[in-house]
Amino acid sequence: MKRKRISRKIFTKDRIIIQFIFLISVLLVGYFVYIGIGWNVVVSLSDWEGLVPSYNIVGFDQYIKLLGDPIFFTSLMNNILLMLIFVPCTLFLGLFLAILLDQKVRKESVFRTIYLLPFTLSFVVTGFLWRWMYNPSMGVINTLLETIGLELLKSGWITDPNMAMFCVIISLIWQFAGYAMLIFLAGIRSIPESHIMAAEVDGASGFQLYKRVIIPQIKASTFTAFVILMVFALKAFDFIYILTGGGPAGWATEILPLTMYKETFAMTHFAYGSTIATVLFLLVMAIVIPYLYSTYRRK
Amino acid sequence: MRFLRFKRVILYILLIFFVIVTLLPLWAGIMTAFKTEADLIYTTPLEPPSSPTTEPLEKTFIIMQRPLQNSLIFTSVATILSCFLGSIAGYTLTKIKFKGSNTVFLGLIIGIFIPYQAVLVPLVMTMVSWGLYNTVWGLILTHTVYGIPICTLLFRSFYVGIPDSLINAAKTDGAGTWIIYRRIILPLSLMPFVVASVFQFTNIWNDFLFGLVLSRGTEAMPASVALANLKGGFVAMWNLQMAGTLWYTLPALIVYLILGKYLIKGFMTGAVKG
Repeated sequence: MKRKRISRKIFTKDRIIIQFIFLISVLLVGYFVYIGIGWNVVVSLSDWEGLVPSYNIVGFDQYIKLLGDPIFFTSLMNNILLMLIFVPCTLFLGLFLAILLDQKVRKESVFRTIYLLPFTLSFVVTGFLWRWMYNPSMGVINTLLETIGLELLKSGWITDPNMAMFCVIISLIWQFAGYAMLIFLAGIRSIPESHIMAAEVDGASGFQLYKRVIIPQIKASTFTAFVILMVFALKAFDFIYILTGGGPAGWATEILPLTMYKETFAMTHFAYGSTIATVLFLLVMAIVIPYLYSTYRRK
Repeated sequence: MRFLRFKRVILYILLIFFVIVTLLPLWAGIMTAFKTEADLIYTTPLEPPSSPTTEPLEKTFIIMQRPLQNSLIFTSVATILSCFLGSIAGYTLTKIKFKGSNTVFLGLIIGIFIPYQAVLVPLVMTMVSWGLYNTVWGLILTHTVYGIPICTLLFRSFYVGIPDSLINAAKTDGAGTWIIYRRIILPLSLMPFVVASVFQFTNIWNDFLFGLVLSRGTEAMPASVALANLKGGFVAMWNLQMAGTLWYTLPALIVYLILGKYLIKGFMTGAVKG
């Protein structure tokens, strides 16, 4: 009785607490995400250069400058290269690892923990580790090749402009394959046992079982992994910043987020940097909005 | 039968091959962190040190100590705050029906995917004008705000599974939303709180971009930025570079090895990185 009265007394105050805290979250995200994006667009339309802010709106000058900037196109090409090579290779390797682990492997969780390990490391850490791997004079890969008598294959790796981007891609596949594996493995495990047994009764086994029954049923996982990797291929920053800083030869591994950072914070071309950021934002949204629409439409 | 066994052997050879490839960079890093400068020249990176030394670790600890403390402070506080706010948001969006709640949810979780470059200039300007630039508080606020979207998603996907009948029963007993949250939702939330906090701790600890643009000098500098600076400070001194890497990665590595299964749960709930 007593308790009931107390809770009724604080009912109005009580309602406000939750709504107040929720409102804080909405306002914070509203300000730092939505106002931030709008503000960034405004900066991109201005002529702000140097450390003193200028909101003198000059229109699309910066966007026109973008179209004549070879560094912008080099960066965009490298982002596209990530999407075209890094994404499918990671998906393929992830699926392969998931299938291997699906063979009733002993100590499965140990293998899973190890394969996922690189993904849980900071890009700064993996960037440092791979700088050591690729170091041409004393690094891991070249000295290993020497030890096993394959000196022919020694290379400049990240110091060679023609190879650097592929080195970046290989390291990123190394870091993300475990993550793709995890998504695929969860997809495979969510298929009802009866479906697989029915297919086995029909004589499907091994490779055929995966090709005909299991892979077609993990479309949703594939889609999720695909979108997340595509978004990463656009957003990647930390790893390349540490590994190559966008070089060698100036822009061999330059990507849009890196160009944006350099233009804005190193050269204080705030308006131009914001323009690159706006383009990057639009590219990411072109992938994310259809994904969110198809995922949450029914809920 | 024999053929089957042959297949199993191939399977394990492949699995172990991938384990070696996965661990190779880490192995080289750890071995190098314990080498003297002479060892650096006379042993290959994959060989263990001939005379192991902790000198690189001691030297880099002097530089990394303050940044590691900073990282530990803002990571812990921002983890707690973003989980708490995410929990309230997840609760509001699933159990307190209001008009347009779905739109608000979608509006919140877009924050997971945006490239942070698109908000970086306004963020830095805001932090400068609020007097939070180059402070640990600024990093706490930033990581809390950008953690809210993913935490909301994690908690919402868990709270959807709590039956509404439980909430309605409490309502007829006269309990308000706060009482329901404290007496019913919170006691059931241990799992999502563990998942979200392990996930957030790892994410915030691993961050580099925000630390890079929001700190200058050592007062608020995160360990990730301090490590990046070692690159220029110790050119070609790979034992020191790897020792610094080891210091920075150790806390996140320990969390992963002990609480990895919760982190995996976090990744499964539509998680992202980068």
